[in-house]
Amino acid sequence: MFLENRVDLGKGRQLQTTPIIELQDLRVRLGRQEVLQGISCRLGVSGTGKAIGLLGPNGAGKSTLILTLLGFHKISAGGASILGLDCLSNSREIKARIGYMPENEAFIADMTAVRFLRIMGEISGLPKRVALEKAHEVLFHVGLGEARYRTLGTYSLGMKQMAKLAQSILHGPELLILDEPTNGLDPSARIRMLKLIREMKEKHNMNIILCSHLLRDVEEICEEVVILNEGRLVHQANLEEERRTNRRFIELEVYGNDSKLAEALKEQGAEGVSEGGGRWRVVFPPGMELDVLWQLVDRENLSISHLTHRRDSLEEIFLKAVGHLERTAQRNNAPEGKESTDGSL
Amino acid sequence: MAVYKRGYQRYQGSMTGRLARLLVLPKYAWSNLLKKRLMVSLLIMAMFWPLGCIGFIYLSNHAELLLNFDSGIKKFLQIDSSFFLIFMKVQAVFSILISVFAAPSLVAPDLSNNALQLYFSRPFSRAEYVIARLIVLLGLLSLITWVPGILLFSIQSTLADWNWFIENWNLGLGVFIGFMLWILLISLVALAGSAYVRRRIMAEALILGILFVLPVGTKIFNTIFNVMWASLLNPVRVMDQICRWLLGATPESGPTVFQCWLAVLVMIALLLTVLRRKLRPVEVVT
Repeated sequence: MFLENRVDLGKGRQLQTTPIIELQDLRVRLGRQEVLQGISCRLGVSGTGKAIGLLGPNGAGKSTLILTLLGFHKISAGGASILGLDCLSNSREIKARIGYMPENEAFIADMTAVRFLRIMGEISGLPKRVALEKAHEVLFHVGLGEARYRTLGTYSLGMKQMAKLAQSILHGPELLILDEPTNGLDPSARIRMLKLIREMKEKHNMNIILCSHLLRDVEEICEEVVILNEGRLVHQANLEEERRTNRRFIELEVYGNDSKLAEALKEQGAEGVSEGGGRWRVVFPPGMELDVLWQLVDRENLSISHLTHRRDSLEEIFLKAVGHLERTAQRNNAPEGKESTDGSL
Repeated sequence: MAVYKRGYQRYQGSMTGRLARLLVLPKYAWSNLLKKRLMVSLLIMAMFWPLGCIGFIYLSNHAELLLNFDSGIKKFLQIDSSFFLIFMKVQAVFSILISVFAAPSLVAPDLSNNALQLYFSRPFSRAEYVIARLIVLLGLLSLITWVPGILLFSIQSTLADWNWFIENWNLGLGVFIGFMLWILLISLVALAGSAYVRRRIMAEALILGILFVLPVGTKIFNTIFNVMWASLLNPVRVMDQICRWLLGATPESGPTVFQCWLAVLVMIALLLTVLRRKLRPVEVVT
């Protein structure tokens, strides 16, 4: 059912890559409501240490998607796979290879952190001695070393978040599913949490699915992003690619006669569009540096009053995606014959 | 190297099997429960009656000690189905007390702290969770029910002659099956009750209510309406009838053994349904 991607390496050589998550018209119904309404996508490549951000407004279906992938909700139609394994038939094997940090408080209040982690480790399949060792090791790693013999009920919110992260990485999972990991954290704790997550990805090669409503967290951690709205996938973007593109896109404001600037830019391989009043939008070709622009402007006897790298931030991507759906909905709801004639959204 | 200096290393060694994982929760639950004074006291108290029974068996098998007693007392000291039935009834009371104390501490904290999400996001299913929790109660209650029961039967078989064993082997089997069924029933009542109310104190009250107040209630109902079927709702009453049948004792008036078996099976099915509905990693509010 779920096929592996093949990356062509040339000369007939192909590298088999398994997506971290693959959804095929996934539908989930909770009661009478269809919460996920046919989501299809392939996300990430397993074993590459990449992070996927799951974004969406409240009630978009992010947590439902995660809980469905974990087998907590029944799939009403379609299919889902994690690390190339079908979520329905290989649930056990999937769970052995993932770590999950839930959004809400989840622990045994009257248990010490070491004991709690030891139990979680043993249930994950770690041998008894290893589980105890790992419990200590992970608690030191997340900064709870000194507090490891305290009962979890006495922990602050930040410490509880760290304990939840600790239990999710204890058994060395291939995929880490984090549901709102920075919820309720103060700025320094948030920075520490993001640092730990980044480390899991970069140093320990874990794939990460980060579900958050904080765009900055996703932007800092993730290479790929999926935006859900009202149970549908409305946008999927490769943030690495977007970042690369953004670096070449410049907004410029000049004084002087700029009538020959477009031609001069074209000669250098760049593309410039005048917006009037000395305002320009310039797209540089890959490899072209900003120095070239300075030289051009100097040659044309122009002076620059304003220059910015146009940055299509994740926030803009997110708002566009969500707004796009709203406009689509408006258009769909419009009475027949009153649809916009130019086909615009 | 010291743990705090080592830093995090991703574990890539071998994993334990399914059975080892299944026994993790019982292992920690037993160690927790046996740290509690009340639990240890209950277990010790529950041993007094079996010890008394051993003395009773010893006396009944040493006729020379009974020469001065009249025949009425000698008859009273017979080791038969009545003896094992009384033994079972006394131990059943202790088993109720222990399950009331132990079961809510197994399930209620997991539910009130959302720990089920963490268990079930690992290679550990809902069925395994229920089995693991049943193992905890099975282990504890076995110590005071069928284990001493079989021990008494073995002592009697050793002290009496071979013929006694041949004639009464059904007593040993009856004690084992009766107690196992009883343990299963009260464990399910206790676990389902804890899962239903989610709070420890309330769970204890509910289980006590089902196992102590319900019998009184059904008796009052039977008397007022002059019926017998209400006894089928009483787990203690139906189990008493089944144990009588298993031990070959005279059944009491009321529902038949078949009706009692049916009632127990229905109760078990209902309790499993409650557990299935309540032991969920996430609540779905629609």
